[in-house]
Parts: sequence; structure tokens; C-alpha cells
Amino acid sequence: MTTPQLDITGDVCPMTFVKVKMGLHEIAPSGKLNVRLKEEALKNVISSLKTEGHRVTNVSREDGIFLLEVTKAG
Amino acid sequence: MSEAGFKELKKGGMMRQAEAGLFSVRLHVVGGRLATPQLRAIREAADRFGRGEIHLTTRQGVEIPHVRQDALSALKNFLEPSGVGVGVCGPTVRTVTACQGCRVCPSGVIDSPELADMVDRELYGKPVPHKFKVGISGCVNNCMKAEENDVGIKGWIEPLREAPACTFCGICQAVCPTKAISTSGDGLALIIDPTLCIGCGDCITSCPSGNMREKNRGYRVFAGGKFGRRPSLGKRILGVLQTKEEAMAAILAVLDFFRVHGKAGERFGDALQRTGFPALETFVKQGVGRP
Repeated sequence: MTTPQLDITGDVCPMTFVKVKMGLHEIAPSGKLNVRLKEEALKNVISSLKTEGHRVTNVSREDGIFLLEVTKAG
Repeated sequence: MSEAGFKELKKGGMMRQAEAGLFSVRLHVVGGRLATPQLRAIREAADRFGRGEIHLTTRQGVEIPHVRQDALSALKNFLEPSGVGVGVCGPTVRTVTACQGCRVCPSGVIDSPELADMVDRELYGKPVPHKFKVGISGCVNNCMKAEENDVGIKGWIEPLREAPACTFCGICQAVCPTKAISTSGDGLALIIDPTLCIGCGDCITSCPSGNMREKNRGYRVFAGGKFGRRPSLGKRILGVLQTKEEAMAAILAVLDFFRVHGKAGERFGDALQRTGFPALETFVKQGVGRP
């Protein structure tokens, strides 16, 4: 099964955070979600993910856009 | 009244107004915090002895303007039972400003009001070569403008990168607001430039692997700032101090240095232009007992 992808490169805080939260709502515990985001959103998105117990399990980058593989809390 | 008489009154927080015979009375407030009974007493005092007007100063102080000279001591006596003292002006250690600190503010790193109370108890109103202001910001967002004070303190988070699970994902470098993090030439290490790091902790908050962690969380000291006619910003001295006692010792040492090297009527920042910062740092390090 391919990992679902969420693109929040066109969003600004707090929608970045809200969309990731909603995206993860659709995912089963310990499941994965790929999130495409811009540099500005990194800090708030990652800190809120960590606060809620999710993990960023892989990071890649293309043309200034970050791609985070988020593993939902189990 | 003689000029000398006015000066004495001013030192005691009673400032002559433009209109002859009237004074604006400065009150003793620490970090902008007042209990409601104190506020009630101040309101009542302004009604009785002033014109029902209260001035909130730029540095979190409170003044009651339009008080007649012959009512000054009655005003002082009226406020005393509520625990509100009269403030200071002139060549003294002035109102200590502080934010609400880590007990209230989610961004707070240090307990600013706690340190403000310590500084106030030890130093408020003490004579110095020229007015001396202390301001305490709980974090690097710096609401209290540490660099505008003769001594400013900021809550500070010093990052430390631990190698084991770092994947060089680049997030810490991307989020760092001052670009203080770089990759070494061989690509095998991350280097944090301590002169660029502003102690915000964003790299720690954002690190996916938990490899960036807190090395120190504490107090950073800035010296020699002022505003007024010729503003200049304070510069940071020493490393990150870990306890309020160390921060207090640093402030005391800075003040001792000013007492030795300062001239009457010269702000601390100007004295530092003559002595240079290294002399201050050497002196203060001895005072704090730190290398």
C-alpha cells in the first residue's frame, strides 16, 4: 500500500498544523503519512507532532520543500 | 525650594512637575506586578492626593501625578500599610522590569519575577554613578528588551548535538533563525556557532531524531545597554548561567565594576566604551566564580 501524502506547501500556520492533525486522523495507529511542507512550517509542525507522540521517521528534501514521513503514535 | 532640595526629593521618587508646586510621585513596583489591594490603595491615593489620575511608565512603573508638595508625606504614609513604597529616581538602581516568566508564559525559560524580586531586594534605590536599569526577559523573544538595560537578563537554551542517531536531515539548519548551524567540510559533523546562536531552542524543538538536546537552560547576561538620547544595545557577556544565584552574582559584579570605573553622570554603556568589554568580562568572571 502506498503511503498517503499530504501537501501543505500552500498553507500557513495554523492551517499547516490543523491539516496535519486532520490527515493523521485518517491514519491507523503506527501508520504512516507523508507530509510535503515548506521550511517556514517545519518548527511548528514538528513540535506539535512530537507533543502528540507522533514521530518523524524520515526526512528528505527537494528544491527547498521538505518531505516528512510521519509515523502516527501507536 | 532649592535645587538641591528638589534633587533629594527626586532621588526619593518625587519628581517636580512643569507646574510649580506639583510633583509626580513614582511608586515602588517590581516587574509590573501589583496585588489588587495595592491597586486599590493606589487608586484611592490618586483620588485623595492627586487628580484621580495614574500614569503607567514605560518601565512597568506607576506614578501618581499632580500631588502638591505639602501632601507628599501624607501620600507616602497613606500608601505604606498596603505595602506600596515610594520609588526612586536620580543616580540609583531603578525599577527592575520583568516579564511573567516560565510560571505563566509557555515560552518562558526562566522565572523572571523571582530573579526580579532578588535583584530588587538587594539593589533597588542603591546609589550608583548614574541611573542603572535592570530588565529581565524570560526567553529570547525578549519582551523586556534586555539589551536596552544597563544589565539585561534573558532566558536562554543552549543546544548540544549528540551524534549517534543524527541523519543530517537538515531540519535544524533550516529552522535556525540565525543560520548558526553548519555542516563540517567532510559532512560528518554539525557545528553550532555559539556567537551566532541566540538560544531560542528551535533546533531542539524541531529535531526529529532527538539528537539535538539542551546542554544548558539558564540565564544570559547583557551589559551596557541604554536608550535615551544616544541609544546603544547591551552586549552579551559570560556563558549561560545555570542558577538565579549565579545570575545575581553576575549582576552584582557588573554593578561593582560600574562603581569602580563609572563617572558621575555617565551611563554604564559609555563607561564601557572607555574600559572595553574584556575588562568587564574578566572582572565579572571573578565575581561569578566562573572561568
